[in-house]
Amino acid sequence: MIEKLAKNLVNLKKEFVSLYEGHSQIQEVIPISISELFPIEQQDLELLHQFTAKNPIYYNSYEKVIGCTPCIVYEGDINKYWLSSIQHGSSHAPFSPTWMMSAYVGTLLAKELGYSEVIDIGSGDGRIAFCGKVLDMESYSVEIDDMLVDLQKFLCITLDYNPLCSDAGMFDYSSLNLKQPIFFIGGLAQMGGVSLASEVIEKINSISDLWPNSGWVFAGTLSQKYAPDPKNEAGWGTLIEKNNLKSIQSISLPAAWTFHESDDTPYIFAQPN
Amino acid sequence: MTSTDDLSQMFDDESLKLQNLINLADSKSDLSVHEIVETYYQVMNVSSMSTLLKEQVESQPNSLLDKIQVIDKFISEQFNSNIHPQIMKTLSTSIQETTEKLQSGNLGKKSKEEIESEAKLFEELRQKMSTREFVEQYNKGL
Repeated sequence: MIEKLAKNLVNLKKEFVSLYEGHSQIQEVIPISISELFPIEQQDLELLHQFTAKNPIYYNSYEKVIGCTPCIVYEGDINKYWLSSIQHGSSHAPFSPTWMMSAYVGTLLAKELGYSEVIDIGSGDGRIAFCGKVLDMESYSVEIDDMLVDLQKFLCITLDYNPLCSDAGMFDYSSLNLKQPIFFIGGLAQMGGVSLASEVIEKINSISDLWPNSGWVFAGTLSQKYAPDPKNEAGWGTLIEKNNLKSIQSISLPAAWTFHESDDTPYIFAQPN
Repeated sequence: MTSTDDLSQMFDDESLKLQNLINLADSKSDLSVHEIVETYYQVMNVSSMSTLLKEQVESQPNSLLDKIQVIDKFISEQFNSNIHPQIMKTLSTSIQETTEKLQSGNLGKKSKEEIESEAKLFEELRQKMSTREFVEQYNKGL
């Protein structure tokens, strides 16, 4: 069901790209209500809309039927956050969000795989952690950029997804008493993601008994702009092998950075061997 | 097989293109990103040709070797010591000014049109920053 949902979302994005005539820096769509293509709890959809409508990175929204799905189009601009994030010495990659619907589908899969806690690393506006909370999972959102953490504190009034302002490579994860956590790593492998993931993996490895229960989600790329990894996995193969992880599933989902590209973002789900 | 005359002609053509670009850079204080990139590419192009040709013609006395030495000196004295540091300085100043301008403009609610117009300035800033990275890479090779 989740793979089908992901496929339908990718098709919706393709239709949206062909129809979109605006000039915003980022844009995304969320279906208005439950449908055959998007069999999602109505209450969950409403929470996704609440988060997006309240989020100041979006400055415009309107209703549009895309294919046969009535949606709300959200238009946004993240330039000022980009400017802030590139001034952070230890920031690995500038903020660029995945789509809300992609965050939801990704966390839905994490829940189906049996994980109980979502840790959104390099979380931007914290939308993955938010979606974890929508799905009744415990959520934590780790972000180094204080401007983005302020944004999260403003957004988490709807649902508290625990924004934490910290360098993810330095954070003390034992303080969270995690049991069955899944870590979503922000940033492509080639954009500092490997270094960020390696630091967090080392931290989790040092906590007794936690490593075997952990799950990992890596945002990959198939773009020829980046050098491919010799072990594949959309840029993450070497890190996966080096850390004795195994890739268990991959789903392709739309993100802001792949809006103009034909290939969407492959999210690689991995767990320890 | 390419004759020495052909090589000499090709080198002359590329050197002339380079001289024109360097003269333009010398006379213009606000080079566009495109002009900067084009100038550096031509410097690298002529430098590579020069290295390659020197090996081929070194053993035989001819005018091509003289031309190569002249252009090498021109690149070193005109471009590396003069134009290149100036471009680095201008880019840094421009990036700083645009950054400050954008940071100071972040207050208050803006219209859709204002946001989309400001986004163009951010795009220019990104271009300048990536050009600075490119220019810094050249500097590391000096």
